[in-house]
Amino acid sequence: MDVSLSAQHIVKRYGGVVALADGNLNVASGEVVALLGANGSGKSTLSKIITGVVSPNEGSLLIDGRPTTLSSPQIAKKLGITAVYQELSLIPDMTVSENIWLTHEPLRGKSLIKNREVRARTQELLNLFSGTFKSLAPDIPVKMLPPDERQIVEILKALSTQPRLIILDEATASLDTQQVNRLFDLVADWKSRGMAIVFVSHRMEEIFRVADRATVLRSGRSVGDIPMSDATRESLVELMIEGASTPRNIAIDSVKSDAPVRLSVEKLTTSVLKNIAFELRDGELLGLGGLHGQGQSDLLLTLFGDIPHTGKIILSQKPVNFTHPRQAMDNQVAFVPGDRATEGLLLIRSILENLQLPSWANFGTPLNINRARAESQNTAQSLNVVMASLDAPVSSLSGGNAQKIVIGKWMSRNPKLLLLNDPTKGVDVGAKGEFYNLLAQLQQQGTAILFYSSDDDELLGLCNRVLVLHDGEITAELSGGDLTHANLVSASMGTQQENNV
Amino acid sequence: MNQSSLQSFLRRNPYLFTLLLLVVAIFFNFQFQDNLFEANVVNRNMRVLLPTMLLTVGQAIVIIGGGIDLSVGTMVSMINAILVTRILPDSTSSEIALGFFLACGAGILAGMFNGLCVAYLRLQPVVTTYATSFVFSGIALAILPRPAGQIPRPLTDFYRNPQLGIPTAVYIIILLLIFWVLLRSTRYGQFLFATGSKANAAYTTGVPVVRIRFSTYVWSGLFAAFAAIALTLLSGSGDPRLGDDMTLPTIVAVVLGGTRLSGGQGGIAGPLMGVAILTVIGNIISFANIDSWYQDLVNALIIIIALAGPGIVRLIRRLIGR
Repeated sequence: MDVSLSAQHIVKRYGGVVALADGNLNVASGEVVALLGANGSGKSTLSKIITGVVSPNEGSLLIDGRPTTLSSPQIAKKLGITAVYQELSLIPDMTVSENIWLTHEPLRGKSLIKNREVRARTQELLNLFSGTFKSLAPDIPVKMLPPDERQIVEILKALSTQPRLIILDEATASLDTQQVNRLFDLVADWKSRGMAIVFVSHRMEEIFRVADRATVLRSGRSVGDIPMSDATRESLVELMIEGASTPRNIAIDSVKSDAPVRLSVEKLTTSVLKNIAFELRDGELLGLGGLHGQGQSDLLLTLFGDIPHTGKIILSQKPVNFTHPRQAMDNQVAFVPGDRATEGLLLIRSILENLQLPSWANFGTPLNINRARAESQNTAQSLNVVMASLDAPVSSLSGGNAQKIVIGKWMSRNPKLLLLNDPTKGVDVGAKGEFYNLLAQLQQQGTAILFYSSDDDELLGLCNRVLVLHDGEITAELSGGDLTHANLVSASMGTQQENNV
Repeated sequence: MNQSSLQSFLRRNPYLFTLLLLVVAIFFNFQFQDNLFEANVVNRNMRVLLPTMLLTVGQAIVIIGGGIDLSVGTMVSMINAILVTRILPDSTSSEIALGFFLACGAGILAGMFNGLCVAYLRLQPVVTTYATSFVFSGIALAILPRPAGQIPRPLTDFYRNPQLGIPTAVYIIILLLIFWVLLRSTRYGQFLFATGSKANAAYTTGVPVVRIRFSTYVWSGLFAAFAAIALTLLSGSGDPRLGDDMTLPTIVAVVLGGTRLSGGQGGIAGPLMGVAILTVIGNIISFANIDSWYQDLVNALIIIIALAGPGIVRLIRRLIGR
């Protein structure tokens, strides 16, 4: 079971872009090492090199002290190295058990799969997370599952290979508190049994909870390797973002109570939501909290005209009933989806095209490309997008920068109501800071913002008021002194006695 | 709970809709042709069905793996040309066996060529197999410039007549279904579906994606050889254009059988029924005295309706606001 891995001076270039200039990582049995770094610092590249998905241009990889070349994921797997990926590696059409055991199915003879054993062992694995999920079962196709349950399947899939070294790459990003706790219990157990764990996360609290040591990457270089006992939140952030740390959030408490009501919702009901009612004023940042999949995304999509509903929606003093996102857009509503890769961006198209996608109608026929280019340049500059050029494909951007494009494409339309669906998921600290500044700026301009976040600290730090959803209902409205972490968590769990509205 | 178990049953058996369609088609066919269920008519229909069915199995495997093979028709023509130039009316049984062996070898080689281009050189499947279809057609014409050849009577009789009162094709279909059940319960079967559903994720998991893609075209070549053997025994002679028109029906049959064209889903029971539906529709057209030129038009309409069906339902739902 004993294992050690040492990556030394790893270099990886994609064409002219250096993804990793000097990557170093050491990890051994019974140890949890946090791999930290801003987006684009090379964390994902380094994890992919360790698991054989990508091969390095230079540098050496020592496994159990021996120089090793991992030319494919299969070879890494044979050596007991596996990863829980951020971009899910699951096959949507296949069932939970088929996915978990893919490539290492228990076989009868040489090739026939032992179906009964596969299902039984899948059930055993699912029991590790029992009580923290709703629909998971061995025979359900993965595409029917919500994101948090897919992530659990991804974790169990890695675990089923009985690895010696496991990389958790943003594995907690889509999990709720209860699921994260369960995962950390499991990590402690793996550790005691001699497994080596590399933990990649943007959530600082989690790193302090679970890691023994942190390796920090900045612009493709390892810039620090420190025991967690010597580390502080500030010292780590400073290492990650060079120079002063970005303020974690900006609290704006200047919402004028006489500001006009931009959005008013009464008795809003869909197949998921029950009797939702609230008001949102211009310049207000209203948070949506609660556990995952309690209807927050449904609420945002309903307001954006994507889900049919009953009840009243009054936008800018006019009752509206959008049946298509186009109508919502025409009424100056903008929606920033949570899953930027599939819902927010045309990955292979250029930054310019993505930025102007909702606004091409403003540029005449034939399109006035030069004006579009100038405006896009302004938007990109004001958002501080780090890019090669406007013509580079969006897929060439790092996560934080890509998310800026998703928001940037709505900026030029001057939205009056902005709907944000967990926009900072998987975005690094530096980019988060810039994003918070952007929200503050919008608030000052009078934009009403409805903001769902899975990060409790973000809601607490940014919002004046938070609606907590549980099972499609608003179970608490927290503001002022009531807006505390304890109240937020207890309302999320649906505990009514704490609910002092 | 009851509804969701019905839904999951339908999800696991997507060919139920195909079966329904087949029953309806047979019903209409029976209206125009009242001897449809007589033994000799059944036998005649079955032996005509089988070559396309065999070809469709190969096509289904390629499509499930995320590709498409537009060269299956001319592969049949090419292998038919090889068969009739190898097997002559006075051939000994070892010469006949060699002929069949060469046919299978030619199919596998042709499939390997397709697979090499698509999987290893990463060329577009549609363009590649469209191009190679002309290569195979050229080879067919080089071997057999004009229709000729004659297969020994005992061989053709074996194929054309029922064995123990049951059409020969029925035995083969049962073998095909057993083949599929076995394939589905192997690791290879899992890899095939994984590759077709989401190749990147499959690669990251450790599935040998390139080898699997390659293998689907080899299967397709082998089944083209089986189809060519069946068709040659059915026709009893050779024609360098014999299989050229069989490609489109195999794709229509796969779609009718509930197998998604983008891959990663489906099976062969559905596509086999799809072939039967197409044949029955052909029957209806000829017995209803509709010009046979309409056959292609009808096939094309069916493929569009089958592809658009779910979309049309969604559109209607959206328009009526729920």
